[in-house]
Order: sequence, then structure tokens, then C-alpha cells
Amino acid sequence: MTFELKFYIKYNNHYLFLLVYLISNFLYMRKLFLLLLFVLLCSHDLYIKMESYFLQPDQEASLSLYNGTFEKSENLIARDRILDASVIAQGQRRAIDPEQWKDQDSTITQLTFTTGEAGTYVAGVSTKARNIALTAENFNSYLEHDGVLDMLEQRKRDSVLGKDAVERYEKHVKAIYQVGETKTDDWSTVLGYPIEFVPQANPYEKYSGETLEVQLLLDGKPLSDQLVYAGYLKGSHAHDHAHADGEHSHKSEKTHTHTSGQQLRSNDQGVVVVQLPEDGIYYLRTIHMTRVTDSDELTHWSKWATLTFEVGHEHGPDTHTHDHDIPTWVFIVGSLLIMGVLFLIFRKKN
Amino acid sequence: MGSSLRRALPLLLLFVPLLGLAHDVTSADQELLRNGGLWAYVQVGATHMLTGYDHLLFLTGVIFYLNSFIDILKFITVFTIGHCITLIGATYAGITADEHLVDAVIALSVLYKGFENLGGFEKFKVKSPHLLLMVGLFGLVHGFGLSTRLQSFDMGKEQVLAKILCFNLGVEVGQVLALVPIVFIITLSRKHKQFPAFYKAVNWYLVLAGIGLFAYQMYGYL
Repeated sequence: MTFELKFYIKYNNHYLFLLVYLISNFLYMRKLFLLLLFVLLCSHDLYIKMESYFLQPDQEASLSLYNGTFEKSENLIARDRILDASVIAQGQRRAIDPEQWKDQDSTITQLTFTTGEAGTYVAGVSTKARNIALTAENFNSYLEHDGVLDMLEQRKRDSVLGKDAVERYEKHVKAIYQVGETKTDDWSTVLGYPIEFVPQANPYEKYSGETLEVQLLLDGKPLSDQLVYAGYLKGSHAHDHAHADGEHSHKSEKTHTHTSGQQLRSNDQGVVVVQLPEDGIYYLRTIHMTRVTDSDELTHWSKWATLTFEVGHEHGPDTHTHDHDIPTWVFIVGSLLIMGVLFLIFRKKN
Repeated sequence: MGSSLRRALPLLLLFVPLLGLAHDVTSADQELLRNGGLWAYVQVGATHMLTGYDHLLFLTGVIFYLNSFIDILKFITVFTIGHCITLIGATYAGITADEHLVDAVIALSVLYKGFENLGGFEKFKVKSPHLLLMVGLFGLVHGFGLSTRLQSFDMGKEQVLAKILCFNLGVEVGQVLALVPIVFIITLSRKHKQFPAFYKAVNWYLVLAGIGLFAYQMYGYL
């Protein structure tokens, strides 16, 4: 093969051009691949994810720390990274014992617990800050990929797209879940994290087709003009039957839809209005990033926040019917009528 | 008028279990499954069978054709084995299909049974397919329908096989609960002098219901 290539290079300019083209293409693809790999490996959102956010009192349940995307966790969370892990219920805040966290499948950190009394619960996890050094190219890609568009624009405006970065990042996440039917006011609890989402109404008194206002706080104060992304996994039909032993798994493509998400910007009060178009598990995410000018070590500081909760539909007497089935009573009454008429006809004939 | 009422009474009684337990399989079931553990799967399986009029219509058609208790037992066993295979197998393997299409085939099974009971094959001078084999085949189809419905629920990640088995158990419980009054009423009606009219009325109804349900499901699919 080498001989052939040399031959072509020597005797045919066309092949020389082809060779250069192939090599440059290969290098470009490799670069693109490495960049993509970097983005996938480095930009990890953190979420508190539950199989269901509707639980019963005194039921065993689990919540998982998803470090990656909302659908797939890529890494565990080391215990020493957790600054705070709390559950708020019945007006009381209880710390989660670090010993209670267990690692699942080397990618998911999980907490198994037993729910208490009926009410609306809040779970929160805050992690220590870490630093990461990035080349200018990787940093720009990450800003674009993770939707930190304001910082990317600022870098463009300041003509510093070519500058490498050392970023300090910290993540603060919350989930709100409902135990039993009784709604309590703990959903509005401010956990005091450096950045956090606080709903302006109980998500469990909201139903699909409605909206939910959520306030974003930075160091306890409303954060205005901040980009927030909201997505959801469709409906109570979301499927992911992965067996615990990992021997079998399947997903229903029809029901497990990952939405493209809403891009929102907080108003003067730091509030975003999230559309809740369908039943499903909703997740909000934001990354607030600032430039650091007074440090020799750092160039940027980011604070990440997520909030997860589930939305169902309002239960009225008319909502308990299957989408595409004839109501049973209609079927029965109609059937009896038809059979009655048929019976009379055949009896008369006989 | 009084005698007509007496004759119509068996018909009404036939549907008493449905009227009493009428409850559509809904998101309420989803919430029950989320929070109620394995017992909830038994409960939802039974409810689905008792309110699944297409399954019950087919079973009514099967029983109408049979005279002895042994035959009823034999045919119901074959139907049960058929639907267990696809219910457990398809759910565990994650095999699913459009609910409308599966329900459309189930509707055809109802139409088929009414047509067969009315001697449709003989009228067209066609040899009717093997009865037991057809019941077994339709059992597989009905099981796939049950599986498709079960898979439309979020079953979570834990105890998946146990949940499927519990749902299946519920289906069998529901089937027995529905069969007892159906068998009782059909057996009683055989002794009545108007039984031929009743037989024809019910089986013609099965044909019409099969066509109607098929059209309805295809409309939903398209």
C-alpha cells in the first residue's frame, strides 16, 4: 500500500492531491471526534432523578444522582464532593446521612429511603466547587453545547475566543416529589444554595396544559436575564425497563421521547414561566457563569442548578377514560340494545 | 311483555359483572401501579380483563359453541395458555405493536367466533379451521394485546418479571370471575325454548360488534 501511494505521488499529481485531501480530512475528523468526546465527557449536568415523583406514605423509594444528562448518568458523585444533602418535609429539614448513598452500575449514586407522612417533599444536593483547565477551543465548544450562550457572546464581543480558560464550577440540584395526596408548603423552601430554583406554586397543584412560574435565586437574590432550559420526559408512559441484573433492557420509542426543550430567560424578578404541555417528568437547568478578574488561577466561575418534578393531569370524572377506548358503559348499553333488538327479531322469525 | 322481560333477563345478567365493575383502564391504574406494589398489578390485570369487552366477547363466543363442561375447560385452558405465552413473553422481551392494530385483530377474532358459531363456513361450503387451534391462535393474539397494554404503563426497573406475572395472575382471576356468570347463564339459557333466538341474537351481535370494533380500531390507527 505504501509503495502504491509513493508511486501515485511520484507519477500523478492528481493522486498527490487526493492523498493530501485524505490526510487532512482524517486529521479534521479526528479533531472533530476528540472535540465531541471532550464535550460529552466534560459537560455533565447533575439531576436528582426518581423513577416516579408520586409516592405513597411509608413506601420504599429511591432517588438517584444523574451526573451526565437527564436520561443517562455517566459518573458517580464522590461522597466528599457533597456539601449538603437534605430532605425537607413537614416544615423540617433533615440531612441525608452520607453513608446512605450507594453506587449503582459505576455511574449512578443512589439513595434508598422510606417516605414518611403525606406531603410535598423537597430533596436537595449541593456539591463542592472544582476547577477545570480548558483550551480555548474546548471551552468555546462547551459553552455552545451547554447553552452558556451569553458567555460565548461576550467572548466573541471581547475578541477573546482564542483564550484558554480555567473554570471553577459547582452544582446545586433539587427535586420536588409528592407523597400521598396531601399537599404541603415545603415546595417553597429556599435551601440557601449559591444558586437554586424555587417554584412559585406547588408543582403538584399544577397539571398538564398549565404553566409553572419558577424563580431563580443567585446567592439568595433573584437572578434576572439568565438563560434557563426546561425539558421533559413524556408522560406516565415513560418506559425504561432495565433489569437490575442488566441482562435485559428495552425502551419504547413511542413513549420515551426526549423533548428539544424550552429556552427561557428570567425576568426582572428572576422568574421563568415553564410550559407544562403534557404529563411527564420535567427538568430545568441553568448555568450561571461569570468572568473572574481578580484571580491568578481562575478565569471563570460557573454555578449550575437543576430542578426536577413530575406533572400529571387533573383528575376529574371525565378524565378517567382511556384515550382511544369506547367507555365501558356506552359499550354495554349499546350492546344490550342491539342484542335485545336482534333477539326480538329472531324470536319473531322462529 | 312479562314473558319478554323474563327472556331478556339472562341477557342482562350476562353483563352484570361488567356493569358492576365497569372501570376503564386508565391513568388511575398507572398511579395504582406506581404506588401499590405487586398486588396492584394483580388488581389492574383483573380489572383489565373484566372491563376488556373484546376479550369477554370472544370468550362468550367460544363458550356458546360448547356443550360440555369438559370442552369448556379444554378450550379455556388452550386460550389461557395462548395468552399467557404472549403476555409474559412479549412483555419481558419488550416486543410491542400499535395498540390499535392489535385491538383490530382481536376485534376480528370476535367477528370470526360469531361467524363460525352461526355456521358461516358451512354456508360458504368452506371447511372450518380446527376449533382448538384457532382458539389457541387467538389466545396468542389476545395475550399480545394484553402485553401491549401492560407495556403502555411505566413498570419501573425493579421486579419486572414479578410484575408481569402478577398482571397475568390478575388477568386469570378476572377471566374466572367473568366466566362463572357467563357459563352459568349460557347453560341456563340452553334449557329455554327461546334459546335458538338467543343464540342467533348473541352470535349475530358478535359479528356486528367484531366489525364495529375493527372499524373503530382501524379509524384510530389511521
